[in-house]
Amino acid sequence: MKAPRLSPQTLRVLERFVERPTAWRYGYELSRETGLKSGTLYPILMRLAKFSLLETKWVTTEDGVPPRHTYRLTPNGVVLVRATFANSRSALKARRPAFSGGRA
Amino acid sequence: MIPAAAPRSIAIALLRFAIWIAPHDTLDWGHAMLNELNHVEGNWSALIWSLGGAGVLAKHAIVALILPGTHRRTVSTASELFEKEGPMRKITLAAIGACVVASLLFFLAPVFRQAFQVSLAQWHEVLHVGFDTDGQNVDPALTALAKKAEQNHDGEALAFVAVRTSNQSESARLADEAVHLDTKLTWIYALVAVRHPEIPAIDRWVPELQKFDSQNALPYLIAAEKIDIDQIKTPDVHRPVDAQSPAWQAAMAAAFRSSKLDAYPNRLKQLDRGVVLRYRIDDPFQALEDPYLYGLPSYGAWDSYRYAKSLIESAGTLESRGDRKDAGEIYLSVARFGQLLEPDDGFFISRELKEAYKRLAATSAKDGNSAEAAFYAALTDHVEQVAEKQRATWRSRSRGGNSVPHWNAFLIRLAGLSMLFCGGILAICALGLVVRRRSVALSALRPSRLTLALALTSAIGALLSSAVLFVSYWPYSQLFQRFVSTGDDFHLSELSAFLGDTQVPLGSQFSLGSWYVGSQNVVFCFWFAVTILCVLALLIGVLRHVQTRPRATTTT
Repeated sequence: MKAPRLSPQTLRVLERFVERPTAWRYGYELSRETGLKSGTLYPILMRLAKFSLLETKWVTTEDGVPPRHTYRLTPNGVVLVRATFANSRSALKARRPAFSGGRA
Repeated sequence: MIPAAAPRSIAIALLRFAIWIAPHDTLDWGHAMLNELNHVEGNWSALIWSLGGAGVLAKHAIVALILPGTHRRTVSTASELFEKEGPMRKITLAAIGACVVASLLFFLAPVFRQAFQVSLAQWHEVLHVGFDTDGQNVDPALTALAKKAEQNHDGEALAFVAVRTSNQSESARLADEAVHLDTKLTWIYALVAVRHPEIPAIDRWVPELQKFDSQNALPYLIAAEKIDIDQIKTPDVHRPVDAQSPAWQAAMAAAFRSSKLDAYPNRLKQLDRGVVLRYRIDDPFQALEDPYLYGLPSYGAWDSYRYAKSLIESAGTLESRGDRKDAGEIYLSVARFGQLLEPDDGFFISRELKEAYKRLAATSAKDGNSAEAAFYAALTDHVEQVAEKQRATWRSRSRGGNSVPHWNAFLIRLAGLSMLFCGGILAICALGLVVRRRSVALSALRPSRLTLALALTSAIGALLSSAVLFVSYWPYSQLFQRFVSTGDDFHLSELSAFLGDTQVPLGSQFSLGSWYVGSQNVVFCFWFAVTILCVLALLIGVLRHVQTRPRATTTT
C-alpha cells in the first residue's frame, strides 16, 4: 500500500482520527483541535483522501444550513496509522538510555 | 469604519472565486471549505480561514495550468458535456470587455496619451531607441522641427533644436544659422558651447558673445574651459594656475572682473515657450531642456576655485609685504565673483570666499575701521551659513531629495509596465482560445474557467494601471500646461526631476533613486531575461492547456 509522506502536521491530524476511528469529523473541528490553519489542514486531508486513507461524506446537520463535509479513516487508514504509531513508540523505546529508568 | 460582517462577506466572495477557478477534482474540497465557513466563529477568523482555503485552491489551479494531466477534468455524463455555459461565464466576459473598453477609452484623453508616452521613456535607453550607431540622439521629431524651422526661416526654432541636439556639428550649424537669421539670439552660442565644449567654432563664438553681453563672465569661463579641454588632450592635465597659458589667465581675470554671470536660463525658457506654442509641441521631454546640461561650463566651478585660491595666495604675499591696499582689492574681486555664483556653483569656492571676507575683516581692523571689519565678519558668517545649507541640500539630494517626483515616476513606470504585461496576457488568452477552437466566431469561443480568470485579472490590471498612470501624471501635465500657457515656471524643477526619473529603467534602481546601474547592457539583459522567461512560461501554460480537452468517460 502506497502511503503519503507523514509530516508532523499530518501526524497531528492522524492522532485526532485515531482517537475515535469510527467517528466522522468536521474540517473546522479538526482545525481547532490540531491548531492547523485551513491552508495547512486541507492539503493534508486531500492527500490522505487521495491515498484512500480517508473517506469523505456530505452530511446535512440542520435545515437551511449547507451540508458539511465530514471525514474518517478508512480501514486501510486505521491499519496504517496504528502501524505508524506503534513504530514510533518502539523507536522511542529503542532510543531511551539505560540509566533513565526501567530495567537495564 | 469597517462593518462587522464585512470580513465574512469578503471571505465568502474570495472562496467562491477560488472555487470558480479551481480544477474540477478539487471542487468538493472548495465547497467543503466554503460550507465550513458557516461554523467558523468570528468574522476575522472566517476571513483567515477563507484566505487559507483560497490559497490551496489557487495552488491547484496553477498546478493544473502547468501540469494539466494531473487535474484532468472528467465529465461523467453526456448531458454534462453538452450543458450550456452558466450565466457566470457571460458576466465575466462582459466584465472583461468592459474593463478593456474602459482602458482603451483612456487613450482618448491627450493627457493620458502623453502619460503613456512618458511611461515608455524608460525603454529608450534599454532598447537604444532614438540613438544612432555612434550613440548620438536622433530624435526624428527634432529633425523634422529643424527642417520646418529652416523652411520658415525661424531663428528661434532653430535655436530650440540647436540646444537639444546631441550631434555637436549639427548643433553648431543650427546655432550659426539661428544667429544668422536673428543676431538677438547670439546668447544661444553660450548654451551650445556649454553643452558641446569641444566645438571648434567656440573660438569664433567667444568674441561675439563678449560683444553681445560685455559685462557677462560666462564667455570668459567658456574660453577658459576650451583651453582646459585642449590641455586634456596632452599629458599635462593638472597644470598649476601659475603655469597656465596667458590666454587662460586673461580669461579668468576678465571673468573675475565681470559684473554679472548669466547662463541665460530665463531667455531659454522664454524661447522654449514661444517655440512650443508655435509648433504645438506636446512632448514634455522635447519641450523642456535638461537643466543639468546648461548653466556654467563643466570646468567653470573648478577653474573658479583654482583661480580664487591663487588670487588669495597672491594677495597674502602682497599683504606680507605691507601692500594692504592691493591685497584688499584682490580679496574684493574674489568676494564679488563669489557673490555672482548661484548657491550650487558658489559652493565650490565658498571656502575661498569665506577666506576673502575674513582677510578683508582683518585688514579693516588693522586700518582701524571697526564698522567695516564687523560688516566683513558678518559676511563671513553668512557665507558659512549658506555653505552649510547647501551641504544639507546636497545630502538630502543624495538620499533621493524630494521623494514625491521619485514616487510618481516610479508609479508611472510601473503602471506603464503593468499595462504592457496585462495587454500581453490578454492577447495570449485570446490567441490561445482562437487556436484551441480554430475559429474566431464568438459563439464558438468557449473559454475555460482558468482562461476567463486570467483574462479577467489582466483586464482589471490593465484598467487599474491606466487609472494609476492617468492620476499620477495629471499634476505634471498641469505644471507643463501652466508653463506653456502662462510662462509660470513655479515647480518646473519638480517636473524636470520627475521627467528625469521616468527615463531610468525600472529594475535598474535599487531603492527609489539611491542606486542606478550605469551599464545599459546589464539593464537590457535583465529585462530581456525577464521577458523571455515570462513569454516562455505563458506559452508553455497555454500550449499545455490547449492540449487538454474535456473528455467524456466511457461509462454507459
